[in-house]
Amino acid sequence: MLEAKQLKKTFGDYDALKGLDLKVNPGDIYCLLGANGAGKTTAINLFLNFIAPTSGTAEVCGIDVVREPLETKKLLAYIPEQVMLYGNLTALENLRYFAKLGGHDYTDTEYKAFLDRCGLQSGAYAQRVAQFSKGMRQKVGVAIALAKQAKALLLDEPTSGLDPKASNEFSALLIALKNDGASILMATHDLFRAKETGTRIGIMREGQMMQELGTEDVSHADIERIYLEHMHGDAGKFAA
Amino acid sequence: MITSIARKEFAEIVRDGRFKWTAAIMVLLLLTAMLAGFQKYTTAMRIQQAAQAGTNQQWLDQGDKNPHSAAHYGNYAFKPAGPLSYFDNGISNYTGTAVFMEAHKQNFAIGRPASDQSAIARFGDLSGANILQLLLPLLIIFLGFTAFSGERESGTLRQVMSMGVTNRQLLWGKALGVGTAVMIVVLPCIVIGAIALSMAGSVDHAEGMGTRIAALSVAYLMYAGIFVFLTIAVSAMTKHARTTLMVLVGFWAFTGFLMPKAASEISKFTDPTPAFGKWMADMRAHQIRGIDGVPPFVKFAKYTKEVFKEYGVDTVADLPMYFVAVRLQKLEEYDYPVFDQHYGMIRDAYAAQRKVQDRLGLLAPTLPLRSISMALSGTDLIQHVKFMTDAETYRRNMVVKMNDYLSKAAVDLNATSSSSNYMRADEEVFAIVPPFVFEPPALNSMMAEHRNNFILLALWLAAAIGLAIFATNRISMERN
Repeated sequence: MLEAKQLKKTFGDYDALKGLDLKVNPGDIYCLLGANGAGKTTAINLFLNFIAPTSGTAEVCGIDVVREPLETKKLLAYIPEQVMLYGNLTALENLRYFAKLGGHDYTDTEYKAFLDRCGLQSGAYAQRVAQFSKGMRQKVGVAIALAKQAKALLLDEPTSGLDPKASNEFSALLIALKNDGASILMATHDLFRAKETGTRIGIMREGQMMQELGTEDVSHADIERIYLEHMHGDAGKFAA
Repeated sequence: MITSIARKEFAEIVRDGRFKWTAAIMVLLLLTAMLAGFQKYTTAMRIQQAAQAGTNQQWLDQGDKNPHSAAHYGNYAFKPAGPLSYFDNGISNYTGTAVFMEAHKQNFAIGRPASDQSAIARFGDLSGANILQLLLPLLIIFLGFTAFSGERESGTLRQVMSMGVTNRQLLWGKALGVGTAVMIVVLPCIVIGAIALSMAGSVDHAEGMGTRIAALSVAYLMYAGIFVFLTIAVSAMTKHARTTLMVLVGFWAFTGFLMPKAASEISKFTDPTPAFGKWMADMRAHQIRGIDGVPPFVKFAKYTKEVFKEYGVDTVADLPMYFVAVRLQKLEEYDYPVFDQHYGMIRDAYAAQRKVQDRLGLLAPTLPLRSISMALSGTDLIQHVKFMTDAETYRRNMVVKMNDYLSKAAVDLNATSSSSNYMRADEEVFAIVPPFVFEPPALNSMMAEHRNNFILLALWLAAAIGLAIFATNRISMERN
């Protein structure tokens, strides 16, 4: 479970996050929507303890990320917009390395099973990742999350730049992870994918959570309209 | 965890094209230097042994003559090449390889290889030590400068830091990975060098060859460690790999090129040596006026009276020893303290300069390593000073033996003119002077002499590790 309580982050005079309250339960895919600078990535960085909160707390499975940074990172998997891997290592070697960093080790067969589950073609396992497409890298990134047995996933615009097929495959993987009980927090600009993949949506603007929605309660068109209204600052009609 | 990080680091480095090229060049240079040095060493040893044996025989075969004339005929002492001079030639090229030993004169060493070299040689010898002192740090820098800054730029550092790995684990893992990559380049060359040395049968030449090699290895490993941790520290502190490289190459040039030159100049400034001509003139004048202001001939006149009184005689003819020989020996001995003072002054100045240079090792780790390397290779100033001291001791002993023999064997010449009744000695007499044998400084005393340099290297290593720990602890994703 991921939980933010009155989480604030200030960079100098700039309030990047203004008291965020957020809860992502096991089996949830919570999609954070918002324009650039809305605070989505800041929220993810706070959960990763990459940056320290100005006030408030971020917790992973009930553990404060500031007090127990290593413990909470063991429970997390992070998939950024561009999964950065070591170009001179193969997919299998990258997976093995990151799994070991996360405190896990498996047999080669098990590593291959993770890659297979993520849809990476078997011929690519032993290839150096320098030539991998973004989609293939994202798949290795998910395999790392699987190997890490992460309880919670933090995804920062993971489908940005992916072609529709790759994006669809990626969403399918997320849903599978959700069904396994993972708590998933995903920052995205992709309203369609948020509705299709997510269980809940949070719309952020200027460091504040403007509105939370259940994806089953709204249509694609509703999401787009609500989102745009918040972005234009004339929301309120739907807030109730 | 640390092993996993090290393995990854190592795999990445060795698969990088840069590694293959730099490693190939490094191996080629090291092997060439070691083999060329070894060939030079064996040739030098052969020449030295042949020359020493030849000059020893010449001493015996010089022909029948007066023993004091034999002392004037003199002999040469040839300095053996240092036991590991094939690895580190030190200052051997500039100190001379032989010294002529004769009555009344203490000479400087002659036969400086540097004087026979072309102008291009001023850029330094291609020796294993030079390569390890200058190119090994460069290899480490090239292999390790991306350790953190490269990962920061490529984005993998965020990925890694999200895995729950500690900064300290990353530091040690990366240090181990870079260090292993460096070692697989350097170690085989060292092993080949050691095998070549043992095959040449010169291992018995020096005391504690195993200890020398071990101590030398420890010093160079410490030096490599300093650069590994400095590289990682700078990489952790800088945002961009390009900046890391610039800072490290700047430091490398400072410690490897600038400081040795600067240290030499600074030491000459703080402890200057006199100009040769003036020094020589001063010494000659000092010999004439006597060490204590009493000229030798005045001293000898006083001594003559004492001897006459001791033996209760009034003329030389009544003395039980050949007094010309006694006079020659006494005049020789009156010069001892003058030689000791003036040559000692130069030696002290050189020693003081060496100490200043060693102290400047606080600013550059190449300086203490260079001193240790030369000392253990037997090519430093201490080794040369010991050779010169041994040669002077031998010279004095040679003259004493000849004069002493003359004083006893030619007693009957006291009453006659030596020009009309010349005493001749033959090979049997000359053989009372044993051949010159150089005993290199004891390894223990040399190690003790360089204790501070080892401490300096250890301090540098500790500082580099400390800086690396400090820098990696400060790694923050906030500033990315």
